[in-house]
Amino acid sequence: MKRRIYRSMLFLVLITLFCTTLLITAVIYQGFYHLMQQEIRNEALFLATSFNENEGFDFSWLSTADYANRITWVARDGTVLFDNWADPANMENHANRPEVTAALQDGVGEAVHLSQTLGTQTFYRAVRLADGSVLRVAATINTVYKAVFDLLPYIILILLPVLVLAFTLANLLTKKIIVPLNNLNLENPLANDVYDELSPLLSRMARQKEQIAAQFQKLQEKQVEFNAITENMTEGLIILNNRGQILTLNKSAATIFGVRSPDYHNKHFTVVSRNLVLQKAVKVALDGLAYKDSFTKGQNTFELLASPVRDGEEVRGVILFILDITSQQKVEILRREFSANVSHELKSPLTSILGYAELMFTGMVQPEDQAAFIDRIYNEARHLLRLVEDTINLSRLDEKDVQLPVEEIDLFALAQEVADRLAPLAQQKKIRFSVRGEKSIVAGVRPILAEMLYNLCDNAIKYNKENGTVEVGVSPAAEQVIVTVADNGIGIPQEEQSRVFERFYRIDKSHSRDTGGTGLGLAIVKHSAEFHNAQIELASTVGKGTTVTVTFKRKGF
Amino acid sequence: MRSKFDAQLALLNTQLIQMGALCEAAIANATKALLEGDRELAQKTVEADEEIDQKEREIEGLCLKLLLQQQPVARDLRQISSALKMITDMERIGDQAGDISEITLLANIKRATAETKHITAMAQATIKMVTDSIEAFVRQDLELARAVIAYDDVVDDLFNAVKSDMISLIRVDADNGEFAIDLMLIAKYFERIGDHATNIAEWVEFAITGRHSNGADQ
Repeated sequence: MKRRIYRSMLFLVLITLFCTTLLITAVIYQGFYHLMQQEIRNEALFLATSFNENEGFDFSWLSTADYANRITWVARDGTVLFDNWADPANMENHANRPEVTAALQDGVGEAVHLSQTLGTQTFYRAVRLADGSVLRVAATINTVYKAVFDLLPYIILILLPVLVLAFTLANLLTKKIIVPLNNLNLENPLANDVYDELSPLLSRMARQKEQIAAQFQKLQEKQVEFNAITENMTEGLIILNNRGQILTLNKSAATIFGVRSPDYHNKHFTVVSRNLVLQKAVKVALDGLAYKDSFTKGQNTFELLASPVRDGEEVRGVILFILDITSQQKVEILRREFSANVSHELKSPLTSILGYAELMFTGMVQPEDQAAFIDRIYNEARHLLRLVEDTINLSRLDEKDVQLPVEEIDLFALAQEVADRLAPLAQQKKIRFSVRGEKSIVAGVRPILAEMLYNLCDNAIKYNKENGTVEVGVSPAAEQVIVTVADNGIGIPQEEQSRVFERFYRIDKSHSRDTGGTGLGLAIVKHSAEFHNAQIELASTVGKGTTVTVTFKRKGF
Repeated sequence: MRSKFDAQLALLNTQLIQMGALCEAAIANATKALLEGDRELAQKTVEADEEIDQKEREIEGLCLKLLLQQQPVARDLRQISSALKMITDMERIGDQAGDISEITLLANIKRATAETKHITAMAQATIKMVTDSIEAFVRQDLELARAVIAYDDVVDDLFNAVKSDMISLIRVDADNGEFAIDLMLIAKYFERIGDHATNIAEWVEFAITGRHSNGADQ
């Protein structure tokens, strides 16, 4: 901008200077030339008059250096008689000179002679004298071009300060023009009051600004929406560009990979995790194929899904989806274990039954032993039935598929009923069995609660020492009813305590047959408690005994 | 020009991290195979060494190309030259993880017993060192790099503990000789891996500060 203004200013100055010089020189020259002509004419007249009136006029006094004009005296035949600048002997005949010819003919003659090489022009004035000879006066001046040319150094001298002035002015001008431009309020283009010429630009800017703001708003809303979705996902989500740099990494993914540095944006994904499965997945996805794999990190197992983001043929990026499948896998393992256990538990009594039956069938059993064999078959079949019943109960509880009515039940009375049923067993094992407490009403399903209490007490008796005690306590509180079953039996080791509620889990695997349990008792207890929204707690010390506390909410069910 | 150079440097960085990840996996797998007697995994670890070697050649080529074409100076030059040194150490870690697995395949190493207690600790310590040295490189973390260098003493002490374990093992019964020597070799490999991890950490330190722990300014 500044340079442009400076250049045009310089151009203007040069043109002005040039034209002015030319014009002024021409005008002054013209005046000067006329003056010179007049002077020469006067001089010629003066000299001619002097010659005519003075007999024997002597020209020699003109031959002095002080005399500026050239004087030539030419005889009638053209021979030069005198010249104050040159030797007449060396000069050619002047009869053919136009001014001389004109003077001889008409009395006076004039001529102009231009010398291109010297840049001068000579003005001649010839006058016929009384004796018929001719007197010629000549003056030489520079041509107009020479005059201009001679002025050049002065012009250049003037040009220098003019240039400085032009430059300064250009600076000032630019500044003056630019300042309002620099002070433009770009936030609100229409509020500016500067040059009229700018108003189309400013109104356009205002329009575009509005458009940008609207689009930005829309984008921001989208971003917020996107963030809200991705940040609240429990699954990890990572979006990479086609160079493997991270565009998005949500909170869950950051937690899964333990991202330490917060500025992972635009970094290569290997900075976040060097997991080889992840690297493979990204590589495959960048080649345009979906990939699925799982990996373990710490205690957890994750499933990784990688899919390419395509734009036509080109892969633009990769979307990685990471799911925590730890619990899913645990459930899967439990289910597999359960079916393996069920099959095993079902198979053992069946094998016995089949064995005894086969022995009897082939007649290898003595008649007196038959009663004992039948008794064994009967017991095994009962055990089998119990097992199937327990499994059915458990799966019903699992599915919450209980078709029985919910009624108000006095847990204290129920506990006493259970105690009555178990009295023979307790007696047989020489165990003191007592129920204390008071009437405590909860809402529940009678058979399930009865089964639960029975299982708890049954366990307390079975896994007890001789002369041990089992104490059942039922105590109502304001909002809840607490049932405790405490024994001073063999206890459960610390590391097993979390597992005893698992199906078919047995602490002492070798003695499971003797106690006659199915291994499902505590699992049923746990599920029954869950079914009634009750909390179950287990406290136990090896050798000292176990206390199971079930806390029912009065209004929980 | 510069942007292309930056892109190539970023690529070098990524490749180094990938090679580091391969080494981490190699030593973790070698250890797992050793302690759990998993022959299949041991075989896989031996084979995985080829991949690490391949990666080394790739990175080496990239470094030389960068040096020749871009003629880097100052920090860039340090980064590339330390990369060249680091891959040598990483490649050695890969080799030694493979060596450990070869012994696992050939010898009958009993599962974790009293004799292998210190070896287990050593394995865990070296895994930590390798992981941390790579992590220090990834995060350009001077503190972590120095911590790795200091941690080498732990591995060296454990090596000495294993040595005395083996001596007493042979003293108890000379028939334990072969077993003891196998374990001794493995311990030595772990100790060497610890040294290589230390080297990597030192090169990280050099790339950041321009000073190498083992020498004057470079």
